[in-house]
Amino acid sequence: MRFAAVLALTFATQAQAQEPRLERLDSAARAPVAAVLDSARAAGLPVEPLLQRALEGTIKHAAPDRVVAAVRRLAGDLGRAREALGVSAAPAELEAGAAALRAGASPAVLAQLRRARRQPLTVPLAVLADLVASGVPVDSAASAVLMLAGSVRDADLIEFRRAVERDIALGASPATAATADAPTSLNATARPRSAAQPRRP
Amino acid sequence: MPRVWAAVLGAACSLATPSTAPGQTTATLDLGMSSVRYDGFLRSGAASIAPSVRWDRPGGYVTGQGAYLRFESGNQSFQGTLTGSVFTAPAHRWRGQILASVGASSYATFASFHQTIGEARVHLVGERGGLWIGGTAGRASFGGANRPITGLAVAAWAQRSGVQLFASATRAFVGDTAYSDIEAAARSQRGTLILEGYAGARVWSRGGGRGVYGEGSATLTLSGRLALVLSGGRYPTDPIRGSISGRYVSAAIRLYSVAPRRPVMRDLPWDRSPAGSDGSVGSAALVEVLAQGDRAVRFVVRVPDAILVEIAGDFSDWRPIPLGQGPDGVWEGVVRMSRGVHRVAVRIDGGPWRAPAGARRADDDFDGEVGILVVP
Repeated sequence: MRFAAVLALTFATQAQAQEPRLERLDSAARAPVAAVLDSARAAGLPVEPLLQRALEGTIKHAAPDRVVAAVRRLAGDLGRAREALGVSAAPAELEAGAAALRAGASPAVLAQLRRARRQPLTVPLAVLADLVASGVPVDSAASAVLMLAGSVRDADLIEFRRAVERDIALGASPATAATADAPTSLNATARPRSAAQPRRP
Repeated sequence: MPRVWAAVLGAACSLATPSTAPGQTTATLDLGMSSVRYDGFLRSGAASIAPSVRWDRPGGYVTGQGAYLRFESGNQSFQGTLTGSVFTAPAHRWRGQILASVGASSYATFASFHQTIGEARVHLVGERGGLWIGGTAGRASFGGANRPITGLAVAAWAQRSGVQLFASATRAFVGDTAYSDIEAAARSQRGTLILEGYAGARVWSRGGGRGVYGEGSATLTLSGRLALVLSGGRYPTDPIRGSISGRYVSAAIRLYSVAPRRPVMRDLPWDRSPAGSDGSVGSAALVEVLAQGDRAVRFVVRVPDAILVEIAGDFSDWRPIPLGQGPDGVWEGVVRMSRGVHRVAVRIDGGPWRAPAGARRADDDFDGEVGILVVP
């Protein structure tokens, strides 16, 4: 046990020595984050997103334990993303995949995207995360992105996401507000009205 | 009547047409208890089950709503409405819309109501507000008696910082009955709480009743797919659907098929005070993230009276980058970013780091939010 602790500390010290940006972290977070980075590196996961997450927590004055927890959580997400996307996935794809998983997409969807698209998956995964985070059901978002991912360019996917946000997200756009919520006494679905209210004796 | 059904068919066909922009289906189920007093009757309690389904796709939607009520007396009420809508492609600031709806209701042993309505609207759409005018035609039946429905409505709406405001005026004719409704409505969403309400007045009425009315509701999200809905108010007689005026209070549990969406805000009230202070210094700020060529992203922050505006993100190793001050309270900066997904935050006058309004926001793991940018 003591040997393992010494070994971990040694690795962490080495990681700090190799990565000067760790010096910006709170001293209490530095060694644990360095250990996570080292573990990720050994596992073949990208360490830059982990380091960036730690730096983000630092600039936002997060408590050291929160910073460490966030980095560990992201490392776990990156690992699950790689399981779904395959060992050949690029770091940017893994980061986007981790965000998609965090948003609610399933690993199976990520694997389907991998099979459906030969081009990089970074943008499709980001669009998927955007849609799911916006409240679009995972199945609908996944089927939409899957349908498009095999044949369209990244820019088209981003435009698609904008179009969906504009036309579907309630309250997201003027057009939606005009159509989904505009009142009229001849259209019962238009005016704010509780579905549970009694309407008839 | 054939024209109405043609509109319904047209809407359905348009919505069913295969397209590269798919739709999504959402549903809710309200389980509630109500206390209702119809004008001229004693107060009565009722249990209600109210499902609703909505299918959205770019350019249109279909909604279905139903309600089953069982009153203290043992009498039962059924109501259902199916509505479809399609929009024309925008032409500058104009847009057309066609709506069609069918519905029915029944109570105890009384004859049932049925209605079929078609409506056409022309919208003038602005960035944060708009106007529309619409005409309605249809038919309502009560038992074996059919009555024509016609109407004209004009409405205006505006959207400001999470609050949507509406105003409308309607003139409706249902057989020999005629009435005008003037209404104002508001909807606000702050965090897990949604407040909705409207107030109206029925005037120039012949057989449709007169007076003021209004309803309000509060929807509090309890967890991802569960909410508490409290509502109450007074509503007018509805000659189309066969309900008489009444007052009610209602409490319901709402189950969502998917978690409710958080509205995408284009403008955010910014707290520019340092973190931990009382936040007394507030100002409206708008951040635009404009992608330029060669993977450069231009940040534009409009905050008139700021002294210092900074951005930071994974592209800067989370070191603050001050933006340059331009005229009229505009702060700008261009940042080169690699292809992929980036996290970004903005700080004004040393205040807390916030997600820019022009980017998708996500929880940042540190009790705040961060902006997400995608650089293709």
